[in-house]
Amino acid sequence: MISRSWRNLCRRYSQTVTFRTTESSPSQHNEKQIGLFYSVNHDLCKQLFAYGGLPKSFAKQTKTFTETAIMVRQPALDLIDCIKASDFNKPVIRYVMYGEKGSGKSLTLAHLLHYAYEEGYLIVHVPWVSEFLRRVPRHKEMSNSQTREGFVDLPLDVAAWLLHFKTQNQVLLKNTELKISRDYVWSKRESTVAGSPLSQLVEHGINRVKYACDVLDALVYEIKQLSNSKQCKTFVAIDGFNGFFCPLTRLHTPTKKKVKPEEVTLTGSFLELAKNDWSNGVVVVTADQLALPDDHQDSYLPRYLLYKKGFELLDPFVPIEVGRYTDKEFLSCASYYRDRLWLRGPPEIETELKFTSACNPYKFMEQCAPL
Amino acid sequence: MALCFSVKHLFPISKCYVKNIILNNVCKYTSKNVPTTNHALDNMTDWETLSKKKKISKAMKAYLERAKEHDEFMKKQEFEYKIGKRHLANMMGEDPETFTQKDVDRAIEYLFPSGIYDPAARPLMKPPEEVFPARKAAEFDEAGRPHHFLFYTGKPNFFKLLHDGAEHIQQAYNFEDKVIRKKAVPDPNGELNIDNSIWLTKEQLEQVLVESITDLEYDNFKLLMERLISLPYAYRHKEFIEKYRKPLVTQRFALEIPKPSYDDEGRAFVTTYECLRKKARGDVTIRVPGTGKITINGKDLTYFEDVQPREQVMFPLFFTNMQDRVDVECNIEGGGPSGQSGAIRWGIAWGLRSFVDKDMLEKMQVAGLLTRDHRRRERKKPGQPGARKKPTWKRR
Amino acid sequence: MSNVTHYLPVLKNPLLLRSPWSRLQKRFLGRPTSFPDYFQNPIFRKEDQAKLIENSELSKLAAVPVRPPAVYETSSVYHDPLVNKVINHVMEMGKKKLARELVEKAFENIKRKQIERYHLASSPEEKAKIILDPKTVLHRAIANSKPLLQLSPIKRGGITYQVPGPITEKRSLFLAIKWLLEATNEKDRTIHFPEQFARELLDAASNTGKVVKRKQDLHRQCEANRAYAHYRWQ
Repeated sequence: MISRSWRNLCRRYSQTVTFRTTESSPSQHNEKQIGLFYSVNHDLCKQLFAYGGLPKSFAKQTKTFTETAIMVRQPALDLIDCIKASDFNKPVIRYVMYGEKGSGKSLTLAHLLHYAYEEGYLIVHVPWVSEFLRRVPRHKEMSNSQTREGFVDLPLDVAAWLLHFKTQNQVLLKNTELKISRDYVWSKRESTVAGSPLSQLVEHGINRVKYACDVLDALVYEIKQLSNSKQCKTFVAIDGFNGFFCPLTRLHTPTKKKVKPEEVTLTGSFLELAKNDWSNGVVVVTADQLALPDDHQDSYLPRYLLYKKGFELLDPFVPIEVGRYTDKEFLSCASYYRDRLWLRGPPEIETELKFTSACNPYKFMEQCAPL
Repeated sequence: MALCFSVKHLFPISKCYVKNIILNNVCKYTSKNVPTTNHALDNMTDWETLSKKKKISKAMKAYLERAKEHDEFMKKQEFEYKIGKRHLANMMGEDPETFTQKDVDRAIEYLFPSGIYDPAARPLMKPPEEVFPARKAAEFDEAGRPHHFLFYTGKPNFFKLLHDGAEHIQQAYNFEDKVIRKKAVPDPNGELNIDNSIWLTKEQLEQVLVESITDLEYDNFKLLMERLISLPYAYRHKEFIEKYRKPLVTQRFALEIPKPSYDDEGRAFVTTYECLRKKARGDVTIRVPGTGKITINGKDLTYFEDVQPREQVMFPLFFTNMQDRVDVECNIEGGGPSGQSGAIRWGIAWGLRSFVDKDMLEKMQVAGLLTRDHRRRERKKPGQPGARKKPTWKRR
Repeated sequence: MSNVTHYLPVLKNPLLLRSPWSRLQKRFLGRPTSFPDYFQNPIFRKEDQAKLIENSELSKLAAVPVRPPAVYETSSVYHDPLVNKVINHVMEMGKKKLARELVEKAFENIKRKQIERYHLASSPEEKAKIILDPKTVLHRAIANSKPLLQLSPIKRGGITYQVPGPITEKRSLFLAIKWLLEATNEKDRTIHFPEQFARELLDAASNTGKVVKRKQDLHRQCEANRAYAHYRWQ
């Protein structure tokens, strides 16, 4: 371990590296650093992305490269500038990121999460919506909701998400000024009193899986209240938002009836969050082709992916396109891969790979794999 | 009497002696025709030759009849063909004098459209020499003596050919010996150029010789000719060798390179139409100078999702190092990814000919980028599961 | 289309064909399905072409008709004929895309493992020993598992002896690849092909593992049956 960090240090200060930047704080990133990689601290990584957030292939890369390095790209910088310039007294601005498959939306979101963490936002991060709705390994723990008629719960998933929320916001939750505004009665013996800290609510949801979805609803309400009363600023990040509006999910009720996304409680909760009836916060959402089944993946534009309902919900929003690598970014990425021993061979390979991967970041990574 | 004695010596004694006695007796006992001794001799020869003729004539006659029939038949066919050609020309409204075979073919295709798969089964009208196989002329004369000295081998033309080859080799050896004795040097200008030709195939040789040949014999023929070529003075027997070599196609790739036309922005561009591969059809336009943009059916290179077709499309560009100097636009339809990418590859290579120098052109040709791939899917045959796959072979 | 006609083989006059079977076949060959024999194979790799230029044989070859390169062959640097052969052996039912993906994932696995080992190795000598390039690993694995002799069954006097004899290069390569694939497929089916294949290749490259053992067993058998070698010429 020591040798690794020593090696990193040496690399940073002694070599003339053109693909790295020493600036590790996203709030300080500016246009001079477009195309350069900055590495995220290991512990911070664990805190923020332990339960998701980074795409699976990228997580494997972090293990191989022994570090997490994200490239500073134009869309992320645009977003950060917008956020810095926005007025927090007005209702929340919604940003929708869209782009081709594998052009770097999730990683841009990760970059923004890091920025939000630095700035002290309360982070509400849904790593990948399809995990809830489409990923059905054998049997999804489902139960009929008690508070709402005809709705379906996903208790284990929500409990896992609450844990994720807790780890991301450890620092903020320790600060006990965030208090709930009203009582919640769960059953005859359990209740959460108004005025108790937010962390208690979250703990309760994690411990009592049965009530996790209701805890989620309560949490959403509380967060809105807290933001409106200026006690904390919130950063909402949802990856694969269009999964909520897809006509079908892969879930069945025990009676073999297909479940629609609107019938799942957590869709309701997160859609509440994405509405712009509260202030002092930022909502960033990605519209991804991969959240839909393969037959419906015709285009990557938000109008197609969000369906009518989602579009109406999110309207008005700020669209941000995440495109492919530019030449400079491509070269920097290639030299980073060479440095990390991922890409080897004569320099002509780079021009060829540029063509075959058409500068798509994911495809480039895939094609460097066997070389 | 004297004659009789001399005649006795000419012919075998026993038989003719008897004959002589019979003849003399016949002569003695017939009153009317009293043959003289001369007459007797003549009668004897007539009888011999008569009987001989009677012996041979059946086979010979039949053969001669057949040959005559065939000749007449061919003449008739020739006549009919000529008349038919004139009629056809009149039907098509063209000039009968300048009606070539190609025009005949076109006319027949027009008048008798056929949906039959096999071209050999469709209606055709060709000169009789092409339709009916060639036959040898009379191989032996009336006396039954063959004309060719190698007739009794069964394949006289073929063995004559081998014989000639061997003779040429021997002559070459002799010449070489002479030259060495004179201490001279072979003429450097007289080298045989055999690059552009190959030996006649077995079928072609069979057609030339009007005889059938086994594989072994064909291999022997090739061995002989290879030996002849390998000698240093083979150039002196050039005509003999050229007769049995088929020239390969003069390379088309270097002959008709199109000149680029100029579009509105002043960029030179070349369009190749009819780019085919399997079932894919399309056209490719190359513009110079460019930035390396590739547009396929309006989309980027991401039109192909897999890596392999993309590599194929890039292959000619990277081979000629023109990847960032040209822009490529193509429209293709039909076929699958491999077929379409193959068609585009050929189209790009064919179009790049106009922008590339001669060395590169030769390199492209050696790399095979300029050959049109005319292979098509082979059809499934009846009685078999697939094109080549046969049902399980059973010994009995 | 004009140059197509020149490459059509001379269609046989059906009357000259001897056997009814070949007649049937020739009847159905409306279009050729392969190039005739006198077409040369293409040479498109830059190194091979450089060699030709040195021997000044390029112009001679340019005058002869040449077959077009296949769909999976390119002149790019990362095309390797041995890798292609392995992909072909892995392929079933003509699914080249899937086979190629499997082999590429196997290479990726090799690379990850080797990079891990590289980072764990402490001294530069050890680092230099670790091969990071998966293609080199493949080459080495195949070189280590190629047998040099083979046993052929020869029957003499009612007994079938296993006689050791020479082996051609092609067959040796075929056996090496076949053994590697068999070793990959025979284990438990929960480990996917790319990972198992990566493991086998790494083992073979370091002269350990099942395939190398099989080759060494074969060599030992040949050595043991040395006495029967003369049966090849009886």
